[in-house]
Amino acid sequence: MAYFILKRLIQSVFVMLAVAFLAFSLFRFVGDPVSQMTGVETSEQDRERLRDELGLNDAFIVQFARFTGDMLKGDFGYSYRTRQPVAEMIATRIPATLELGTVALLISLIVGIPAGVYTALRPRGFVSQTILMTTLVGVSIPTFVIGIMLIFLFGVQLGWLPTFGRGGTVQIGGWTSSLFTSDGWRALILPALTLGVYQLTLTMRLVRAEMMEVMRSDYIRFATARGIPFRSLYFRHALANTMVPVITIIGLQFGGVIAFSIVTESVFQWPGMGLLFLESIRFVDIPVMGVYLVVIAFFFVLVNMAVDLLYVAIDPRLRVREDA
Amino acid sequence: MTFSLLLRSSALASVVVLGAQAASAETFRWASTTDPQTMDPHAVNAAPVLSFLNNIYEGLVRRNQNMQIEPSLATSWEPLEAENGWRFHLREGVTFQDGAEFNAEDVLFSYQRASDEAADVRSWFAPVSEVRVVDDYTVDFVTTAPNPLFPDSIANFMILDKGWAEANDAALPARDAENFATMNVNGTGAFSLSSRDPGVETRLVPNPTWWDEAQHNVTEAVFTPIGNSATGLAALLSGEIDFIQPIPLQDVAQVESRDGFKVLEGEETRVIMFGFGHEHEKLLYSTDVTDANPFQDPKVRLAAAHAIDIDAIDRVIMRGKIEAASQLVPAGISGYSEANADRPAYDPERAKELLAEAGYPDGFSFGLKCTNDRYINDEALCRAAASMFAAVDLKAELTTGPVRDYWTQLREDDFDMYLLGWSPGTFDAEHPIRFLLHSQDDEKKLGSWNFGNYSNARVDELLPLIQEEIDPAARQALIDELVGITQDEVAYIPLYTQPLIWAAKENIDLTQRADNFFMLRWVTIN
Repeated sequence: MAYFILKRLIQSVFVMLAVAFLAFSLFRFVGDPVSQMTGVETSEQDRERLRDELGLNDAFIVQFARFTGDMLKGDFGYSYRTRQPVAEMIATRIPATLELGTVALLISLIVGIPAGVYTALRPRGFVSQTILMTTLVGVSIPTFVIGIMLIFLFGVQLGWLPTFGRGGTVQIGGWTSSLFTSDGWRALILPALTLGVYQLTLTMRLVRAEMMEVMRSDYIRFATARGIPFRSLYFRHALANTMVPVITIIGLQFGGVIAFSIVTESVFQWPGMGLLFLESIRFVDIPVMGVYLVVIAFFFVLVNMAVDLLYVAIDPRLRVREDA
Repeated sequence: MTFSLLLRSSALASVVVLGAQAASAETFRWASTTDPQTMDPHAVNAAPVLSFLNNIYEGLVRRNQNMQIEPSLATSWEPLEAENGWRFHLREGVTFQDGAEFNAEDVLFSYQRASDEAADVRSWFAPVSEVRVVDDYTVDFVTTAPNPLFPDSIANFMILDKGWAEANDAALPARDAENFATMNVNGTGAFSLSSRDPGVETRLVPNPTWWDEAQHNVTEAVFTPIGNSATGLAALLSGEIDFIQPIPLQDVAQVESRDGFKVLEGEETRVIMFGFGHEHEKLLYSTDVTDANPFQDPKVRLAAAHAIDIDAIDRVIMRGKIEAASQLVPAGISGYSEANADRPAYDPERAKELLAEAGYPDGFSFGLKCTNDRYINDEALCRAAASMFAAVDLKAELTTGPVRDYWTQLREDDFDMYLLGWSPGTFDAEHPIRFLLHSQDDEKKLGSWNFGNYSNARVDELLPLIQEEIDPAARQALIDELVGITQDEVAYIPLYTQPLIWAAKENIDLTQRADNFFMLRWVTIN
């Protein structure tokens, strides 16, 4: 087990290096950081001097080597835009993104799994059809439109929920959390819903398809014949067997949720990493963009590893094989 | 678009219910698109930073609601007698927010700090050769040549306390890493910082020891950057913020149609224009004329100017909010040339004649470069302009892109014609002459935004004369001559002055200044 984790972590270093390399080779096309950092009246000489100081005139490979070298030493550099340490900037934004992503994931599971089971058991029912139709609509509308519609309805029209930001946050150690105040939860609902809709639909449809498959299998028929209570049959025997593929997909999707919460964060002015990344693109803040992408790559590796470990926990057959 | 539609239908359907967290009477919440990058007044010469910090720090002079210069930390100033430059008499009894007293040493220190290589605002002090402390409350700024506009040019030069900056290791603006002044402030101004979370929220409270009488009734001000304009508008309409700058043109009707909200409209000083590659020997993007640059002929440039129907642009794209421009500064700016207030009329027939005279009876194709995220509706403007050009057989190949790599392309001469907006930083007609009309001269730091390198010997000769002329009438005559030349040669096609559009709750009184600066000290919450 420890060997497995260690191996994955070592692999992650290579993944991050590859991501950093790709990112760096693209940064040159994003724009010129110096003209974003300076005012209109700044002379060309001063711009050139700044460019030299920042090492932007060095060859691409030199810049990349310096970036990775500093990263390996634990020095994440300073933002061009705010001059703050990048590590600190990203660290203060991680809680917002993780909380948003986690709550979005929970919503999608809590709603998606029962809905999937229900629609599988009563595939032709009116309620099932309605659920399937609405979620299909939900998944076909772009995230930012969903977000804006939710803001309009619950924020502007009804005035029930805030339209932007994180609301009340509390500081727990280095972690700024909005999960412990009612204001924080009120602010969290709409963005989490927006971010979770796609996941929810995916989870539901996956559970539904798997469940229908399983319900046709021999052991379920046998169990039905034996008179096992339906509740136990559906949720204990059938559902457990549908979960392996569901967890794979959901797990992999979670990495995507974290990485691509950018749109949701922008619509709700949610102060997470995605919003920081967007601002950084606007200002061609290369150090922040670079570190963000590397951190996201690391998240992906972590999530994949967690999924692999969950497999083992859920499917006893894999455990046996590993033990042997 | 979708959002606008939704809002429109909902405005009919019901009245806004204010959020439960309707703020207490005098807490003022406002939003803008960009967070100030730093709290250091000398580190970045950018409007979001200078506008924000003008609430906290002060200069020797400041601008009033009508953009006129008035006393601030200096009570009076006069030209030096024996040499070129200005003497400033400082206000006595002013203290910084930490209690330290303000005096001439702070002015000298701030000058040294702001004119250092590490400071982005150092260009303001290019004409200054020396700063001398005469006594505790008198400072001389010596300039290399007569400089009648110097006091106007330093309205955003903010004064730091020498002792505070040195004690906190912030004697110079942060260049690579942050320093104490990046996140902390100690000004003399109307407000002080109570908390700062960059990119998220910044809180200000009134400075109880401010020397001037407060005209506002704000007890706390909370600033949130909101990058997405639809989100910002929703935040206003839901009552979570009291004021937002700016809002998109297309949302004006939504805000106006709702009870309890108002739109503040004004003219910014930014003139939108098209520029040419005067110096280019060939067109880069043409499919038919590849061995010459027709835009080198003033007749062709004039033809392009005659092709533009500014009224149609106003009506269709800018919703009737713009003021047509004849020169690079709008009317009302000092040095505006009344004598040259006419712009080439919309006259496609004349444009075709001119093209024929210039040897292009069938027109030609060329590349037009535009931004799509810098100016109000910039992409739509360029599309409209391209079709207007096409009507006189000037076939514009339009390329639009984000501003973050736009300037690089222009500096690399990668254009045939381009879009540019210019706001005169000094609020004087000399500013665009220095940056846009004088020939490129890296040595003298002139013409640095004259991308096409428009060059006219007389214009180059006139600039220093205008800069040094003390007599207003003589100065205006020089400017009139210069504007006349650049109009005759169609150095640029000035299009219009961009509107300023802010929105607020009905109960908020505030001042919209033409430089797009928002000053908390003029806010009243009724």
